[in-house]
Amino acid sequence: MRTRSRRTIGATLHNAKMRCPSLPTFCQANRASLTAFLILCAASHTARSDWTVATAAALSHDDNVGNARDHNDQVADSSASGTVSALQLIPFGEGYSLAAGGELSGQIYDHLTGLRNASIDGLLSLRKKWGLGAFAAWTRAGVSVGRSNYEDGYRDATIYRASLELGKRFDERWNLAVKYAFERRAATPGDYEIYGLSSDVFSQTGRSFTANAEYSLTERFSISLGSLLRHGDVVSTTRTAEYYIYANSKAAAPDPAFGPGAYAYRIDGTTYGARLGAEYSLTAHSLIGCGFQRLETHAHGGNNYTDSVPQLTWNYRF
Amino acid sequence: MLKSFIGTVGLMVVGAACAHAAEMHALVRDHKGKFVADAVVLAVAVDPRAALRARAPADAVDQVDKQFVPYVKPIFVGSTVRFPNSDNIRHQVYSFSPAKKFELPLYSGANAPPIVFDKPGVVVLGCNIHDWMIGYIYVSETPFFAKTGSLGTAVISDLPPGEYKVRIWHPSMDHAEESTSQQVTLTANAPANAEWQIGLKPNIRVPRVSGAASPAYP
Repeated sequence: MRTRSRRTIGATLHNAKMRCPSLPTFCQANRASLTAFLILCAASHTARSDWTVATAAALSHDDNVGNARDHNDQVADSSASGTVSALQLIPFGEGYSLAAGGELSGQIYDHLTGLRNASIDGLLSLRKKWGLGAFAAWTRAGVSVGRSNYEDGYRDATIYRASLELGKRFDERWNLAVKYAFERRAATPGDYEIYGLSSDVFSQTGRSFTANAEYSLTERFSISLGSLLRHGDVVSTTRTAEYYIYANSKAAAPDPAFGPGAYAYRIDGTTYGARLGAEYSLTAHSLIGCGFQRLETHAHGGNNYTDSVPQLTWNYRF
Repeated sequence: MLKSFIGTVGLMVVGAACAHAAEMHALVRDHKGKFVADAVVLAVAVDPRAALRARAPADAVDQVDKQFVPYVKPIFVGSTVRFPNSDNIRHQVYSFSPAKKFELPLYSGANAPPIVFDKPGVVVLGCNIHDWMIGYIYVSETPFFAKTGSLGTAVISDLPPGEYKVRIWHPSMDHAEESTSQQVTLTANAPANAEWQIGLKPNIRVPRVSGAASPAYP
């Protein structure tokens, strides 16, 4: 008997360690979406409109991919991810502009192959610039709908996001932005239950607040500092069945991506995060960077854990 | 017969004028000895009559690949400048500079009305849609000017011989342009040379690609 059937979800910065499936799996599940995205990309070369096509890649190492509390349960792994996005900008005048487009992304792990994933997202945002010039403040409201497919399909989910951003560039060196976001991840629960707990582990809801600052040290070199506060569902995977986590979980399910005997638990938690980064502009269109992100999550029942994620990044905007 | 006579006289006048015109060669380097491009070299005649017949021609600053082209455009005061848009998108060109404040609402193609620059000074151009776009129009009080190329050189031709105060301006120059002033005497016999070594500030601009902070575009 399922005691809880709520489907919730979200991805957090750390929970949002994107986890999706191999390309064949992805294509089967998202063929129509993929076709639409490719048409979108092709249109960027033909339409007389303002398209921004961008690509990004990253190499990361996470010392606690499964968000486990105990050292023995913590699994470290490295991953490579890539993103291609195409956004059409439609300025209206009076400082308003609409951006619509899509994004394809994927991530592969070195050892945790079940977490390989691919995602497709549709994005829509309305931006208002409060004045003329590069230093005018701006706000942006955005929504997105995406689908993430994983190598281990039990993590597959549809993801809904809504966000409100406020930003201002103070001069050529300083750029600040804050963002409030709501995220709901809807996954399909398994057909089993564990001692009355729902198996809907990978459906999550979360709300987050982020603040980012960039500072240009030289013509090409800049540093950035970001902070995160998130509250909502988190998923923690352990091999040891401890009462403290079971008693405070909303859902639980086997998590074979972490090997036999691993179980994932959905718990309420608050995450505090900070990220320090440095970027170097190779050209006017591209930059490389490195960063270090530290996340600390306080979850119900004392299931507290940390993540440290060093990262190398590359961005190119056409 | 009359046309032929007029033509002959005209050629003689032009030829005489050219024969008596002077030329100035400029070279601009930075403190490390590297050539400085996009520096505006200005020659102001001590005798103001030298520039009496100067006219302010029509000019243009284009927008290509979401950049102003050229990056620096020197013009003579009173010139009319068009802002054609060679991109397949719309731009919104503006300037807050005291020398010329203006705004061209969103437009595409070559339909934007021309702007008359009737006051000497530096006009900084921007696009309200693409914040990284920046360009400069230097509105010169003298008709005798040129802009350095990638080798740091510029040539001002067809100058009436005489005494001139020459100076330079560059968007990243770390000191006032008045401090670069030199006095030169130009003759019709040989070109004069002038050299500068200037300090440049870091040219920190709004980036086209942003890193961690939320991108300002789109």
